[in-house]
Amino acid sequence: MARQVVIGLEIHLQLNTKTKLFCECSTDYIGATPNSNVCQICLAIPGTLPIINDHAVELAVKMGLGLHCTINDNTRFHRKHYFYADLPKAYQVTQYEHAIATGGYLDIVVDGKKKRVRLDHLHLEEDAGKLVHPTSDGRLSGASYSLVDYNRGGIPLSEIVSMPDMNSAAEAIAYITQIRQLARYLKVSDGEMESGSLRVDVNVSLSNPDGSLGTRVEIKNVNSLKSIERALDYEIARQNRALDTGEPLYMETRLWDDVAGVTRSMRNKESARDYRYYLEMDLAPINAKPEYVQKIRESMPEMPWDKRDRFVEQYGLSFEDSVKITEQLEMAEYFEKCVAQGAPADKAANWLMTEISRVLNEKGICICEFGVDAAETGRLIAKVAAKELSNTQAKDVFAVMIEKGCTLEEAIKASGASVGRVEGGALEQIVRKIIDGQPEVAETIRSGEDKKGGKMKFLQGLVMRETRGSANPAEVAQLIEKLLK
Amino acid sequence: MMEFCKLSAAEIAEGVRGKKWTAAEVLEASLERIKKYDGKINAVVTLCEETARKEAAEVDAKVARGEDPGLLAGVPYLAKDNFCAEGIKTTCCSKMLENWVSNYDSTAVKLMKEAGAVLVGKTNMDEFAMGSTTESSIFGATLNPRDITRVPGGSSGGSAASVAAGYCPIALGSDTGGSVRQPAAFCGVQGFKPSYGQISRYGIVGYVSSLDQVGPIARNTKDLALVMNVLAKADYYDSTCDAYDRPSFTKALEGASLKGKKIAVLSGYDKSHVAPELLEAIDKTAAYCKEQGAEVFEIDLPVARKHAVACYYMVALGDASSKMACFDGMRYGYHEDGKNLTDMYKRSRNNGFGKEVRRRILIGTCILSRGYFDNYYIPATRVRQMIADEFTELFKKADLCICPIHPQLPYKQGYVDDKPLRVYLGDAFSSISNLAGLPSMSINTGFTQEGLPTYVQLIGPRFGDDSLLAAASEIEKGFGAPECASMEGVC
Ligand SMILES: [Zn+2]
Repeated sequence: MARQVVIGLEIHLQLNTKTKLFCECSTDYIGATPNSNVCQICLAIPGTLPIINDHAVELAVKMGLGLHCTINDNTRFHRKHYFYADLPKAYQVTQYEHAIATGGYLDIVVDGKKKRVRLDHLHLEEDAGKLVHPTSDGRLSGASYSLVDYNRGGIPLSEIVSMPDMNSAAEAIAYITQIRQLARYLKVSDGEMESGSLRVDVNVSLSNPDGSLGTRVEIKNVNSLKSIERALDYEIARQNRALDTGEPLYMETRLWDDVAGVTRSMRNKESARDYRYYLEMDLAPINAKPEYVQKIRESMPEMPWDKRDRFVEQYGLSFEDSVKITEQLEMAEYFEKCVAQGAPADKAANWLMTEISRVLNEKGICICEFGVDAAETGRLIAKVAAKELSNTQAKDVFAVMIEKGCTLEEAIKASGASVGRVEGGALEQIVRKIIDGQPEVAETIRSGEDKKGGKMKFLQGLVMRETRGSANPAEVAQLIEKLLK
Repeated sequence: MMEFCKLSAAEIAEGVRGKKWTAAEVLEASLERIKKYDGKINAVVTLCEETARKEAAEVDAKVARGEDPGLLAGVPYLAKDNFCAEGIKTTCCSKMLENWVSNYDSTAVKLMKEAGAVLVGKTNMDEFAMGSTTESSIFGATLNPRDITRVPGGSSGGSAASVAAGYCPIALGSDTGGSVRQPAAFCGVQGFKPSYGQISRYGIVGYVSSLDQVGPIARNTKDLALVMNVLAKADYYDSTCDAYDRPSFTKALEGASLKGKKIAVLSGYDKSHVAPELLEAIDKTAAYCKEQGAEVFEIDLPVARKHAVACYYMVALGDASSKMACFDGMRYGYHEDGKNLTDMYKRSRNNGFGKEVRRRILIGTCILSRGYFDNYYIPATRVRQMIADEFTELFKKADLCICPIHPQLPYKQGYVDDKPLRVYLGDAFSSISNLAGLPSMSINTGFTQEGLPTYVQLIGPRFGDDSLLAAASEIEKGFGAPECASMEGVC
């Protein structure tokens, strides 16, 4: 019996603003002393009123435009009421029925196939504070008291709500990855799941054989792509099993337990709660006039998927390589700067994905922190392509550039590669010396036993090492052949 | 000693600027009068002697240095106890905030300070501004200086009583459904509620975001205009405070005239519900306007007449329940421990709020709840729009509307406990201008033989605050601006 998996996602993105959504407090809460970034407004001190952060609105509009949404003018905020210690006003200010951006879609690619995921809307809202329950296991139950840190309270979030258009865990992961990529391209959010800048609530159900939607379950507390995948796999299996055995499924919110690898029912009446949504009258409607939206649209960079397709088209990269190179905007920009210096596209791509990626991984840094200027790297790759430097030399030179942060010319000089090429008579002398030092190998080749050319390569290698890579490998091969005759 | 209590704010400021007297002298006179009479009247809940002396000294120092000390140089004023002022208690006359000291200045207090006015203290009010008699304060009731057996009105009763008692020439209040105008009327002084969005609400512990407006109380319209010049400004901290260039309100009074003005007198309501002295006040006002060359005609606003009170309480209490939610005993104010978080909220809120506040929060919570919201709140907002539309139509034909501010003469004390619904109905005339966001004032038309004040309400078009004040100043000329109460006879 083929039941189709139906997945919809709600993604909370922390917007990359310096100040909170409704006050001038810093949003820099990671590692900050608890309750150091708070003021009378975000603590809901009597008499205070919220002030809208224009930058947060701009970022939300930007993200909305990136997701092909309609940007709405005169949108409003609502108050969502509930009493909880982390919510100073006892209501959260959020966009309930007048979201800033509606509609839209995101095209994802899974297994080489393009798929369109439609969006319901994108809205702005404030984050709540954070509770700390000081028990040994960090749980609420059993704690004799709780501490509240309001530093995170009021930080701007944009919530992106998709339609239930995804049909597998792979599609959900692709969707999240692409949302994150877009957010980073637009500098709307850093999109880090580990630090909570990107949070995902997953809605999953299995469609009935007649095509109608089944019972929908929401999964919260998924903090990494890996746990989303695991939670989905678990939940799909659980629902399938329940449907097979006739066990009832409830519309509920379940928490993902990453350690046990299961979802658990939250067992509270969350869905029955009456939030008494009510218009936030202390905030004027948001003006997002067409001219304002147009201005933001014009400031937007090339979208990641456009860049990806252009790289295939313009530089002849494979689709997979293009995906890798355009994954990060900074990487894509580095690539294009290299190419602008005369580096062939395929070599530049290769260099980025091997040499540079290796260094970045070793150092645990991003390309934006990589000390070597793209123009220098580009010229280096161009020299290799022009056979002015061998691969081995280039790697030595590059190591110097990374270490000293110097220019290409300085690195060539420092690495000794600038002594000049060893060629002609000088090279012949070296080749002769190497052959003389390896009489057995030379004999094997002479007698025609070296069918796979391994011994030949061995001699070549020795020559290259001796010349510190400054010989032309083709010339070396020619000389060996000549001297062995 | 100079009788400063008889002077207007304009006269005091002029004297300070002209070195006829110092801000310090004026302040001492104000303090002395408060100390002399307030043991009885109970209009002032916090006296800020120390900070006031400092502020007055600063004004005097400015005058000495030849700097501009501001429009209200050395004018002592009192603010309702829901105006935040840094370092000074802001209790809202509730146990919930009994010992709460504000850590910031409300925009109104900040602007008054910049204009050289001296904050003498905070005035008594109905708990969290919910009431019409200033009897629900935890500090006890305020008495009406015109007749101490009667209430001063509410919820800004302390502010109105202070001005009537001559403590200071001006006081500030907040008006949600008549809370500046009605107590001003009851105390025989002038009260002004500006257009919604005219003055910043930042730092005022109001209770209805869409209705609240800061309003001045004074003994004459010129002082009201002077305060409006100071307070009516766009404010970054209040996004509902309109960013438009305000006219000079004092200038609007110069050379004002009623000649050729079209004045609508509200009709259609059941006149048996209105005290005859107050009906007479309306007739006299209309007759005076006619004499001055105005064209006077009657007008009925059927939607406002039939539905204002019901609409007002739906809108106000729904919002109030939301606004009051921040008082949860967590971060400030009254706190009681509980078995768990919910129990803590319940105990803190149940015991921190008084009866009327709890009643309004409960009704408001109900109004905003699923099911009720669509059936009560949404229709109320539609009615509200219809009332606003009625006024828009009215002001196509008229420059000004005259109607009662309140149907009765000042209540005797304790009346509200007898007839709470009757007191709610007292908002029928005053709440319409809040619902429609219109500028409106109560103006004194004299006193009855027993010495009780009579009054009418004037309503102007949205942001027509300057012309409303101008017309009011002309009408004031007809009746004479009220003097402060002769306290010797009262206390
Ligand atoms: Zn803040």
